[in-house]
Amino acid sequence: MIEEHFQRIVDSLVALKDTSELMLDLAYSSLLLNSRELAQEVHELEDYVDDLHTEFELLVLSSGFKQEESKDFLGLIRLGVVTEQIADAADDIAHIVLRELEPHPVLRIAIEEADETVTHAQVSEGSPLKDKTLREARIADETGMWILAIRRGKRCIRPKPDTKIEVGDILIASGYAEGEDDFKRLVSGREESEESIPLF
Amino acid sequence: MNEWERIEYKPMPVRNLLVEMKNLSELMLDLAYSAALFNSSELAEDVLELERRVDTLAYLLKMNTMVAARNPRDAEALIGVSIVASSANKISDAAGDIAHIVIRKIGIHPLVREAFEKVEENLSRAEVAPNSVLVDKTLEELEFAARIGIDIIAIRRGKEWIINPKNHELLLKGDVLIARGTPAGVDELKNLAEGISRELEG
Repeated sequence: MIEEHFQRIVDSLVALKDTSELMLDLAYSSLLLNSRELAQEVHELEDYVDDLHTEFELLVLSSGFKQEESKDFLGLIRLGVVTEQIADAADDIAHIVLRELEPHPVLRIAIEEADETVTHAQVSEGSPLKDKTLREARIADETGMWILAIRRGKRCIRPKPDTKIEVGDILIASGYAEGEDDFKRLVSGREESEESIPLF
Repeated sequence: MNEWERIEYKPMPVRNLLVEMKNLSELMLDLAYSAALFNSSELAEDVLELERRVDTLAYLLKMNTMVAARNPRDAEALIGVSIVASSANKISDAAGDIAHIVIRKIGIHPLVREAFEKVEENLSRAEVAPNSVLVDKTLEELEFAARIGIDIIAIRRGKEWIINPKNHELLLKGDVLIARGTPAGVDELKNLAEGISRELEG
């Protein structure tokens, strides 16, 4: 019973941490690509994080802890607050795009020069990823790139291990620049990518 | 302990300031979560030191963008830069808040920390054993990112920390590596560091 409660606290904390970091990655990508849709996605995730955060705080507060344990639980509450701050910072970045401020060239350079890069590629008929779930595809193990989001037609899907990859999906990924070529080859199923496809 | 550094305007390229702020803020977040996971006050102190550095950069960046804006058009173009810099600063502050949890010994419930460590596959630490193949190799030779998909974000050597180590950095026995990467890569790094695996593929 107690263990189950702790597991729920952990799951909730992991979701908060992952979502806030996903938002940050997407926010930088939205700026890099000047993409309203990615920025809108970030903005919507901000509401989602607010809900997650409330749920997390309620879980922590309902743990029935003893007085001497209160510090341990305060630490958890603080961690939750931090993820919320990160989500806010990401939302601020997305607002630059949503308010149609032309991104300054310096921003593009700063994002691209950073250690990590964001890239995307389209799943073709010949791709080995076709009809695999993300868990089966092991993209991170193969290329060192993490899937941030999947664009399927007009929808933007948050990747989960059970998400099935379909032909035509555009996978948006981030990681170290060294993995970018491997990633593009794997997703497109071609040796050389001919030209870069537009994201939208 | 709190020394207030007087900040004077220095002409610096906004681009360099922004790149450093963005990189540092992201590194700090990783280090801060690691500090919380491994309950390491040393790592937390380093986060706080980096936080002070980012604060200084933020002042310099703001002053330089102000000087750069000569007309309303410039102002519109530069406001985005200023917002991204503020966001990086916010993230750096958030990382600092995590560090304070560790330093003030507020602590995170041990059961949660354990479980969190298990699911948080991206961060890991490994100690370099005397018989490890990594001893006396530079990061450049090892090419971790390309070969096993991991990135060394910090090295602890005795009491010293090497944050964001450069390519020419030599690994020594006893080094504690803080790494981020794929689950398989992290396992592989541990095996290599502990001397269990003797060969680096690729």
